[in-house]
Amino acid sequence: MSTRKIIIDPITRVEGHGKVTIRLDEKGMVSNAFFHIVEFRGFEKFLQGHPYWEAPVLVQRLCGICPVSHHLAAAKAIDQLVGIDPENLSPTATKLRKLLHFGQVFQSHALHFFYLASPDLLFGIDAPAGKRNIVAVSAENKELAKKGILMRKFGQEIIKALAGKKIHGILAVPGGVHKTFTAEERVYFLDGMLIPNVDTMIEWSKEIIDFIKTYYLENASWIDNFASYPSNHLSLVRKETGAFELYDGRLRSVDFEGNELLNIADVDYRDHFKEAVEPWSYLKFPYMTKYGRENGWNRVGPLARLNTCAYMGTPLAEKERQIFKEYTNNKPNNMTMHTHWARLIELLYSAEAMREFLLDDTLMSNDLVRKGTPRQKGIGIIEAPRGTLIHEYHTDEKGLITKCNLIVSTTHNNEAMNRGVREVAKKVLNNKPEITEPMLNQIEIAIRAYDPCLSCATHALGEMPLIVQLEDCYGNLIDEKIK
Amino acid sequence: MKKLNNILIIGIGNNTRQDDGLGWVFLELLEKEGFNTNNLVYKYQLMVEDSELISEFNPVIFIDACKSKLKNGFSFERIYPSEEVTFSTHSVPPNQILNLCKTIYDRTPNTYLLKIQGYNWNIGSRLSKQAKTNLKNAFSYFIENLNSK
Repeated sequence: MSTRKIIIDPITRVEGHGKVTIRLDEKGMVSNAFFHIVEFRGFEKFLQGHPYWEAPVLVQRLCGICPVSHHLAAAKAIDQLVGIDPENLSPTATKLRKLLHFGQVFQSHALHFFYLASPDLLFGIDAPAGKRNIVAVSAENKELAKKGILMRKFGQEIIKALAGKKIHGILAVPGGVHKTFTAEERVYFLDGMLIPNVDTMIEWSKEIIDFIKTYYLENASWIDNFASYPSNHLSLVRKETGAFELYDGRLRSVDFEGNELLNIADVDYRDHFKEAVEPWSYLKFPYMTKYGRENGWNRVGPLARLNTCAYMGTPLAEKERQIFKEYTNNKPNNMTMHTHWARLIELLYSAEAMREFLLDDTLMSNDLVRKGTPRQKGIGIIEAPRGTLIHEYHTDEKGLITKCNLIVSTTHNNEAMNRGVREVAKKVLNNKPEITEPMLNQIEIAIRAYDPCLSCATHALGEMPLIVQLEDCYGNLIDEKIK
Repeated sequence: MKKLNNILIIGIGNNTRQDDGLGWVFLELLEKEGFNTNNLVYKYQLMVEDSELISEFNPVIFIDACKSKLKNGFSFERIYPSEEVTFSTHSVPPNQILNLCKTIYDRTPNTYLLKIQGYNWNIGSRLSKQAKTNLKNAFSYFIENLNSK
């Protein structure tokens, strides 16, 4: 047998377009595997020269799924350019931004679980490719599909109420927000007359967590072992208490056993992180400088957040977090597929947090914007649905952006996803006489657990069919399948 | 205000990508004609949840720019549920949205697709001259036949 190369291009049911290459040696063993991000857009470059106040609007175009996250990370950075640190923002502005953020996390997590991840869980990883999709989920479980759609809709309606539209709307302005929340808007989300209300969102979130807990118990052998490997975990945590935090806090990293590696003010991130590059991907590889490229990389996102936080600030989510932690005897959870479980606990947290804010009269105050002494550097870090999101801007004396650095969640997870691909490729492909589509789907599942947003990581447009190519060691095409 | 009763008209596209904005400009023309804006929906692309949206209306009309050559520069056709599945949920074609509507909500509104031929797809907000002509012809046809569908 000669050496061979398998290419999966693009990966399906992820946000954006990526490619996997798997190299087999002469004995049919996996010699290496790579997860490539092959598109490039260059937002950091073309933001240069724009006035700083345009950044929170322009960066939303990075993505159609999580524009709110980019809007808010940029807004936090731009606040600093007008002399406002997070603690100096008005309480109303802070709460309105957080409510917008919770709506975003809620709709994004609902989308990922119901549209992208559930087919693998409901039908199994070996199910025919034609069945592993939302249409089949809808056909077999209408009520689940309806709930998924209405949960996503609820989050999007929160975004629309605050930012004017569901995608690429605007709430934040330098030093605050441009609108308050009205009584009519609040009633819409609370009374359940026109859409299921926030209490229903909490109930449905609990239901889906119960579903996944049952599923995991029944399938523990593969769920626990699939693409599992030790790693560091990074996220924001609340400054004073170390609690779960999505909008503003300190950056904390723990290793696979829970030892603290980092606990720093978010604005100091540059002193503690570097980014490596590889010739086969446009996606960089961030790592903690102190621990080096090999040992300093982190996972980010729901699994990491539940590993780094001391507790969650809402009662039902905290109860579920404790059950989650008990599963690993209160040690960090390094089981990649448990990311789905963690994501659903965050879904519940977001629903509870939205309810708390919807009942808070502070949201209807007109204390919206604060001003301070202008500066020429701003750093905004938030926890986007997929993990830690960093925006940094420098301006000249005219307020034009001279330098921009974006590290998105998927970039942090780059090393983790590559390790997952390698791990699974070796397990399922080594020494197999035939490579089947379900085998390749397992590679995709390892990536899909991270809910990577490849659009955010680089961003590209275009028509992308799914092509799987099998090449010999000389690069000659042996077989090709196109979806 | 000209009421559209229970007709839903969805314009698909991106008005910052030249002729890809044809669907949106079409809706703007309807707004200028005084049609009820509650029945006009602007979309960058269709997604799964749009099956819920269309389940509340009948008929439903999708308007989108088209790269293929069309006789007279536009076409208007009835579409039916398709069980085909695209690899990405980023963008789901109208006939698959219709299939999801049928599957999840047990409803199949009479659904039409108005395609308007475009030519330029680069960054920019202006339609090409040919696309404008196609838009004008499609719009005239649409207004003339609106009440018969």
